[in-house]
Amino acid sequence: MRLQAKYKQKPNIPTASMADIVFLLIIFFMVTLSFEVDKTQVALPQTQLRFEIPKKAAYVSITDGGQIRVSDGEEISVQVPGVEDVLSFAAGVIALDPHKEFVLKADKTVPYRSVDRVIDALKQAKVEVIYLLSEQERTDSSGA
Amino acid sequence: MKKNVLRKVTDEIPTSSMADITFLLIVYFMVTTTFAATRGLDFALPKDDDTPPVIEKEESVLIEIQPSGEYVVDSRPMKLDEILDYLKPKLERNPLKPVIIRPDPNAPYGAMVDVFDELRQGAERGIEVKNISVPTQREIDAFWY
Repeated sequence: MRLQAKYKQKPNIPTASMADIVFLLIIFFMVTLSFEVDKTQVALPQTQLRFEIPKKAAYVSITDGGQIRVSDGEEISVQVPGVEDVLSFAAGVIALDPHKEFVLKADKTVPYRSVDRVIDALKQAKVEVIYLLSEQERTDSSGA
Repeated sequence: MKKNVLRKVTDEIPTSSMADITFLLIVYFMVTTTFAATRGLDFALPKDDDTPPVIEKEESVLIEIQPSGEYVVDSRPMKLDEILDYLKPKLERNPLKPVIIRPDPNAPYGAMVDVFDELRQGAERGIEVKNISVPTQREIDAFWY
């Protein structure tokens, strides 16, 4: 029996299509990539209705300690001393893009007073749409 | 001249290291991708600041939020899930009935978001609240009577 002596095939793994697969994955991750402009840790309020927030929206975050941070959606957020600075910041952003969306990322335990003053500052800066950032509320834990 | 017959180099592009490079890129993009919470409730503001918001105290439904987070609707304490049922007959009579949310300055922000979410959900149950306003303290001081 000398069957296998004649025709020997080299063992190899077909890797020609691997690059295609890998590039597909790269493109997926590149497209979905969005740098988090605000890394403030807050306990977000929970809502059942949630709408997609446009990318590059400007952020205003309020922590439970009352600290305010702002970001224009491009750069990492910076802390500002008070609400007056939110108004000047928002006015600057609106001057560049009058239709810029703003995201309010506030801790759910924050007294409404702080939120009120930030919303008022954004209103004065003629912001058109504010998104209240929230987490998904489960239907079985509805009610408050 | 028999030079090129002896040692023929096969023409190919060296692709063996490409997989390494692309995997490196994949790992980079995977690590930097954040599936952050980028969803929330939209909260439209009046477009024209020159026309003051019309707050008709008599005609509208007033939802007050106490510092404890409890709700008082038209001077009656109410639970969150009772508010829409209370609004239903009023909205059937006047679909544009204004609903004003007025949180106490010390009320938690979460309570305001909860009631706002509840009112917005009314549309799914056939109780659409079209006219929700959350006046700021400055507006209340300026226009409330």
